[in-house]
Amino acid sequence: MIIIAEDEPDQRLALRLALQKEGYPVREAASGAEALSLIAQKAPRALITDIFMPDMDGLELITQVRDEFPDVRIIVVSGGGKRTSGDYFASTRVLGAHATLQKPLDFEQLVTILRSLP
Amino acid sequence: MRLRGHLLLLTFATMLPVVVFACIVGYFLINEQRETFRRGAEDRALAVLTAIDNELSGSISALAALATLPTLDVGDLDGFRVRAQRVLEAQPDWQNVNLALPDGQQVMNLQVPPGMPLPNIGKLDGSFERLRATGKPVVSDLAFGPVLKRSSFAVRIPVVRDGQIRYVLSAGMNPEALRRVIRAQRLPLDWVGVVVDRNGRVVSRTVDPGQTEGQMASQSLRDALARSGSGWFRGSTIEGKPVYTPFRRSESSGWAFAMGIPARVVDEAAWRGGWLLAGGLLAALALAVGLASFWGRRISSPIASLAGAATAIGRGEQVSVPEVGGPEEIRQLSRTVRGAVEALQEVDRQKDEFLAMLSHELRNPLNALSTAAHLLAISDPAGEDAAAARGIIERQTRRMGRLVGDLLDMSRLTMGKLLLQQESFDLAGTLTGIVSTWRASGRLGAHDVRLDVESAPVHADPTRIEQIVDNLVDNAVKFTPAGCGITISLKREAGSAVLRVSDEGIGLSPEECGRVFELFAQGETSARRGGGLGIGLALVRHLVEAHGGSVHASSGGTGKGATFEVRLPLAARKAQ
Repeated sequence: MIIIAEDEPDQRLALRLALQKEGYPVREAASGAEALSLIAQKAPRALITDIFMPDMDGLELITQVRDEFPDVRIIVVSGGGKRTSGDYFASTRVLGAHATLQKPLDFEQLVTILRSLP
Repeated sequence: MRLRGHLLLLTFATMLPVVVFACIVGYFLINEQRETFRRGAEDRALAVLTAIDNELSGSISALAALATLPTLDVGDLDGFRVRAQRVLEAQPDWQNVNLALPDGQQVMNLQVPPGMPLPNIGKLDGSFERLRATGKPVVSDLAFGPVLKRSSFAVRIPVVRDGQIRYVLSAGMNPEALRRVIRAQRLPLDWVGVVVDRNGRVVSRTVDPGQTEGQMASQSLRDALARSGSGWFRGSTIEGKPVYTPFRRSESSGWAFAMGIPARVVDEAAWRGGWLLAGGLLAALALAVGLASFWGRRISSPIASLAGAATAIGRGEQVSVPEVGGPEEIRQLSRTVRGAVEALQEVDRQKDEFLAMLSHELRNPLNALSTAAHLLAISDPAGEDAAAARGIIERQTRRMGRLVGDLLDMSRLTMGKLLLQQESFDLAGTLTGIVSTWRASGRLGAHDVRLDVESAPVHADPTRIEQIVDNLVDNAVKFTPAGCGITISLKREAGSAVLRVSDEGIGLSPEECGRVFELFAQGETSARRGGGLGIGLALVRHLVEAHGGSVHASSGGTGKGATFEVRLPLAARKAQ
């Protein structure tokens, strides 16, 4: 199962539908907190998360998931811009993200990454 | 030329009139000092001459007393001789006394024993002639005496009996007497005092008398005496030394006294003031240049450092404008430049941030679009997924359209190129319409939106009004958590249509309230929570102001919601 943490409904919806077409069961979270509670219910194979969300910084989410659910693979998808360029992306890798992808998302690449997960 | 050069030039320009004035003053000063010296020297010459005249008139008085003796009435020359001998002994300056007939034939001479032959001295010089002509005492010129066998002079008076000149009584004078009189005047040692007789022959001289007495005086003195009875000239001594000479001829004796004052002494005295003035002037100039240089540096160095900083900024380096000293204007300039540079750097930073944000904001709809496009490609066109994908594409395209439209409007507004197409309408209708459209399209989400409007006619551009409302409501939705309330109200207050959008969202700090309508002003918090370009509210302000209205933001504080207020002028009655 895959959890998508993304505050923007349309992006979330499009990604969920596309992933479901690929055969992945997907659950949506509109915020970091929601994502954490979903993970707590049932640990997914992967968490696809945005960096900027209203309640919780993506980095906080990554840190918490890594600490509490080390088995969950984290894929960061972000819009870039100043905060997410360079250093920020690098720091997500350091914090334990499995992969970082930039918006607009290359869906084929995302699927390749998901398939390569253990 | 560099600034310091200009300042130095300014100093020179200021000093120039002073220098010219000082030169004029110096010229007059030197002349005046020379003149003062001349007057002093001429007075001195007069004093010496007066002393000489006094000396001679003393002898004349003594002779006059002798001439009254009765022995001469009867021609008792032996008796007279005895008396004259006694007077001669009492007069230290006399060398001899003689008595002659008016034609000059001596009849008695104290230096010649009685009975010995006596010379005729009537032709020795012009003195007998003058005496006969005037009947008054005379002083002879210097002549080689036939009795004393050396150069000397005599004072002669007529001995008058029965109105006729019976004899001429003469006292042979010692030239040493004159020298003593001059010496008593205490002339400076390097000055030459000289007494000259009618012929221009030196009678007495304070310097080197042995060689010069009896000689003709210097040509320049004789020339000057030939021209006038008194005066001042530059000439040379007998020895050829350059001197200034005051001279004066005695009216009683016809003799002249002259002084040779070394030209160096006079010139030095005259130039002393001049040199002092020149020295003072040079010192003042040097001081002026020094001070100008010092102050010049104080003025120019801050300008130079400002210019340096400006050049570095021009090259694109990140430098701060230095705090400089110096004159108030320059400090003010530095502060102004500093403020301008900091403002520019702030604008630059905001621009960078805006571009980053813009890129981020465009990527979000793009991301939805690209994923939806992919979904559309792999879905059954008639299926639910394809419909969802089309919905996503439609919404996100609109969203991007609005974003790009806002950007364009903002750019037009900041360049002043936005044209309003105004018409009269009721704002209440527009507001209600927009809210119901939004509600229908789901843009209001899970928010509890309350509408409280009353009729408010305005004269405005409906498209722009819609844009204003759109942005305000969008802003409220963006920053208000789902389920919380948003109140949209429209009231008529004091000639204005007042639109208020109040939310129960994250609120604003007091500082944010002040600048929330500025371009790119979205706070750190709001940028993170809501995304967006930060131009929506700036656009609102510009559009409202273009309509002659005003905007205002207030908040109970962070987390306590915010109220955005727009005031637009109500339309005039006839325009309704």
